Amino acid sequence: MTRLHGNFDDFGMDTISLAGTLQTKLKAVQDAGFSQIMLSARDIVGHAEGVDHAIALVRSSGLRVTGFQVLRDFEGLSDHLHDYKVDVAKTMLEMCHDVGAKVLLACSSTSVHASEDLDAVANDLRKLAMLAVPFGIKVAYEGLSWGRTINEFHTAWEVVLRADAPNLGLGLDSFHVVASQTSLDLLDELDPDKIFLVQLADFMWQEVRSAEERMTTARHFRVFPGEGVHSEAQAELVMRLDALGYCGDYSFEVFNDDYQQMPPQRVAERARRAAVWLGEDVLKRSVPLPGQLRLRQRG
Amino acid sequence: MSSIDREAFADVPNPLGMEGIEFIEYVTSRPQAFGQLLETLGFRPVGRHRSREVLLYRQGDMNIVINAHVSTLPRAAQPSETPVIAAIALRVRDAASAYRRALDRGAWAVPTQVEVMELNIPAVHGVGATRIYFVDRYKEFSIYDVDFIKIPAADPQPPAVAGMHWFGIVQYIGNERTADWTEFYRELFGFAPLPSDAHFGVLPKGSIVQSPCKSFYLQLIEPEPSVLDVEGDESLQRVAFGCPDVLAAAKALQAQGVEFVESQGVHTDNRGAITKSALGGVMFELVHHAAPAQG
Repeated sequence: MTRLHGNFDDFGMDTISLAGTLQTKLKAVQDAGFSQIMLSARDIVGHAEGVDHAIALVRSSGLRVTGFQVLRDFEGLSDHLHDYKVDVAKTMLEMCHDVGAKVLLACSSTSVHASEDLDAVANDLRKLAMLAVPFGIKVAYEGLSWGRTINEFHTAWEVVLRADAPNLGLGLDSFHVVASQTSLDLLDELDPDKIFLVQLADFMWQEVRSAEERMTTARHFRVFPGEGVHSEAQAELVMRLDALGYCGDYSFEVFNDDYQQMPPQRVAERARRAAVWLGEDVLKRSVPLPGQLRLRQRG
Repeated sequence: MSSIDREAFADVPNPLGMEGIEFIEYVTSRPQAFGQLLETLGFRPVGRHRSREVLLYRQGDMNIVINAHVSTLPRAAQPSETPVIAAIALRVRDAASAYRRALDRGAWAVPTQVEVMELNIPAVHGVGATRIYFVDRYKEFSIYDVDFIKIPAADPQPPAVAGMHWFGIVQYIGNERTADWTEFYRELFGFAPLPSDAHFGVLPKGSIVQSPCKSFYLQLIEPEPSVLDVEGDESLQRVAFGCPDVLAAAKALQAQGVEFVESQGVHTDNRGAITKSALGGVMFELVHHAAPAQG
């Protein structure tokens, strides 16, 4: 339960929504009543006092790290390109482990050099998953809506199934689902235990037709759920996942240029409103009783 | 295409041509005390490393390396007073190709640190700070002839007490990690999971994977369900020796001063036995198991 008594401990913010230093971001998120935060590698490597200091800040913040992002364009490459990306992935995994994150987000490839063969893609993701095993890290594979071969969650799911590794699952981003107009009925085909991360973001346009338009919108004009014009779709997605049995985290993946020039506290307040709306109005949770534990699922 | 090369070994029952364990390595800052403990279990010192504080103990077909050398490599087990398992060396048909295959499938290479005239034994990272070595020179030629100096007057082939041989290694893992580690051992080395009701010895917890050569086992044990989370606490906890007659083996070891746990829950019987914790936490298990066929 959060200090502010909302029932949204499974909702978290993402540092990409906030301006300022890592310390400022951690504090803003915490002050808004969140108990977790999604980190980017840039937060750590770009920290003025160095990587070790950044890791120590995160570890001492008391915030749980929802996940670590993002490994891009990993899969489907061959020869020296593959070897290069494996090296990058290893560095990402080490940082992911160092900040105490249990989930690494890997986005589907946009590279024209990558194979379109789903089995080749699956092989590489399986290898990535095995690289992650000794660290106890799960890999959440997300289909970017402008991904070259994998650009919807159901094709990402197909690849996850083919790769068949216990610590490889799906990363689901509501922005991409809504932007690419993927039917929410397809969510019912997912195994909720294999959804390792759900990211939520709304946007202001009714439609984003081209891949370029989707990319621009995704990187600059996202808003928190409930702030855009797709609130119903956001709510339905969350309710469907809940009904499916998903009990993992929801992270607000809100890239927004305006939020980058607003005080982090104000942005975090907006995120909190979104979390309260989803947790209490949409999922109709009551405020938890004091001392209530969320029990870990077993086998 | 490398994606095709990567699959060349698929579905081969023993893709590495594995033939058991060449040695188990412990690290400790008290090599003499641990050596004495090993002697009570029937091991004898047979070699000393040429350049480092490393000892080789042996009985029958089992080799144990005691390493007191402080490593400068990242993610390496460092010697502490309590001996801990730092490595498993696997006998394979071709160490270089086994190593390459493991890397192709997602193993982490261990950078080697070889002195002049020493063997470069390829290794990948295992659980926690442990390594998994690949050794292919164990028939016509011994790796120890290169790196170790024989201990004068010591029998280089001390016989095994009561037919003791490698049976397996117990690995402690984190919550809900059984599937991850099972897949790791299957994918990289060809281990196969046994049915969930398969158990050996007197400590039947967790789940078991069998080596592709079917000569030894890894037992994966998660924390008790009441334990909420165990952060970073994964390790190789102990080795188990197979022996055709547990009671005879226990008796022989007791005569050497080995003490076994005799409690209401666990006690020495035909199925197995476990030694009392020594030197701050090291223990060994006996498991009823027929002697392996001589290779």
